[in-house]
Amino acid sequence: MLLAIDTSGDVAVSLLALDDGRPGPVLAARRATEPRRHAELLAPMITEALAEAGGRRHDVRAVVVGTGPAPYTGLRAGLVTARVLARALGVPVHGVPSLDALAAQAYAAGVATEDDVLVVTDARRREVYAARYRPAGQNEGPDVAAVAGPVVERPAVVAATLGAGAVAVGPGALAHPDELHAAPGAPVAVDPAALAALALTRVARGADLPTEPLYLRRPDVTPAAARKRVTA
Amino acid sequence: MTDRDALVLGIETSCDETGVALVRVADGRPELLVDAVASSVDEHARFGGIIPEVASRAHLEAMLPTLDRALDTAGVALDDVTAIAVTAGPGLVGPLTVGAAAAKALAVGLGRPLHGVNHVIGHVAVDELVHGPFPERFLALVVSGGHSSLLLVNDIATDVTELGQTLDDAAGEAFDKVGRLLGLPYPGGPHIDRLAREGRSTIRFPRGLTAAKDQAAHAYDFSFSGLKTAVARWVEARQDAGEEIPVPDVAASFAEAVADVLTAKTIAACRRHGVDTLVIGGGFSANSQLREMAAARCAEAGITLRIPPIRFCTDNGAMIAALGSAVVRRGLPPSPLDLAVDSSMPLTRVTV
Ligand SMILES: [Zn+2]
Repeated sequence: MLLAIDTSGDVAVSLLALDDGRPGPVLAARRATEPRRHAELLAPMITEALAEAGGRRHDVRAVVVGTGPAPYTGLRAGLVTARVLARALGVPVHGVPSLDALAAQAYAAGVATEDDVLVVTDARRREVYAARYRPAGQNEGPDVAAVAGPVVERPAVVAATLGAGAVAVGPGALAHPDELHAAPGAPVAVDPAALAALALTRVARGADLPTEPLYLRRPDVTPAAARKRVTA
Repeated sequence: MTDRDALVLGIETSCDETGVALVRVADGRPELLVDAVASSVDEHARFGGIIPEVASRAHLEAMLPTLDRALDTAGVALDDVTAIAVTAGPGLVGPLTVGAAAAKALAVGLGRPLHGVNHVIGHVAVDELVHGPFPERFLALVVSGGHSSLLLVNDIATDVTELGQTLDDAAGEAFDKVGRLLGLPYPGGPHIDRLAREGRSTIRFPRGLTAAKDQAAHAYDFSFSGLKTAVARWVEARQDAGEEIPVPDVAASFAEAVADVLTAKTIAACRRHGVDTLVIGGGFSANSQLREMAAARCAEAGITLRIPPIRFCTDNGAMIAALGSAVVRRGLPPSPLDLAVDSSMPLTRVTV
């Protein structure tokens, strides 16, 4: 089986059957929506999903993880978990940008067919993460290709620079209805099973899938100010 | 395999060092196999302090390489590990979270127990790897850029009492701040230490919380912020008068004030509690004046002084693996997989 993790928004875990290198049915899935508790919830959710799937840890053949973009602490919890768990199990780990999954989910749900999809998620601080996609499937299976982004920007800037003629999907589109118009029936949360399917398609194509985080923002650093006098 | 026979992997990420170490317990005795550390300190130097987000990013990148290096050096396979220990706090939340998530992933992936432990008590526990089993009861002084704590230890894994701590700056922090006001590069501690050895203690700076009126409430607490201000006033007054600052003498006088307060209060606590062994840990125990004064005053008071070599005093995985091995040897239950890191974990709490 294959373990897929995403911590770019919710904490989400799916265990999928592996069917000759292709994704099989979802055997167990867990999702929690408590922000800022990713690192606490993730490991218990993995063990619960394993138990529900009736699997043992050595049945996991690969780990797939969403690489964001996302708020940092939760994203890192997912990435370090995936990397270290894969090392402990002696299996490969594959990274897929979390926004790619939402685009693939939108095409799979029929929200868009030939049109470009604009995926938008929450970046806090009144900004959103966004990327624009088009379908890119070949023989190995359905895929998506980013034609612009990912970026972190104000919703209005995203609408003006990336949105023209695209179908908007994702929680960031729903949260900013004045600027972005989420398509009816559009996916609102990253499905780890979609990440897993993309990973297997790309691995079959021979792609390298690094697990580097998509932070998009530089760290906030406040250099030490010039020293102030203590005497007036 | 019994509790007297274990292989404990320790992970430390509370500040800017990514540490992974392995401690083998054979017949109840812990032995350090490897202590691998990666540091992001150079990335912080230009900011004059630790930037948590920079440290967190560095921990994520360093975790697997440091783990692999530890295993390779020790010639150990991950499957041989029997327990995982990790710093649960105190420390910076972002950095702690990376280590905790890594430790949980190992616990799940290897099917081994997880033990979340206290970083500050780890600074004490590491000395067992160097100087052998602890006595029944002892005092510990943990001093670094982040902590200045005086602990009464009845059992390193289960029974630690905090006698006192700093009410403001940690000792190492005071050194860094005085380093900045003397125009020295960050971190200032080692520079002041070097200059202090060239200078003489000619200025009588104040000793915080040593007055008679402080004995009731703060006999074993420390305060270094008044001292830091006194140094600043002294330097500014000379600058305003257009005089040259005798930096080595200022450094020597300041360092002596810090070492004097730390050792005087610690020896008094040893006497008061009838304890004959003192362990000093934490990065600031590298300070030469503290080492010399502690050695002299302990010898005079008939107290056995144990200070691990400097590489074990800075933050590292060995201290966490050492404390983890003590927890495993006592047969304590593992921590839950949903353990939360605690940036202000109390020092009376050894495990979570
Ligand atoms: Zn420390």
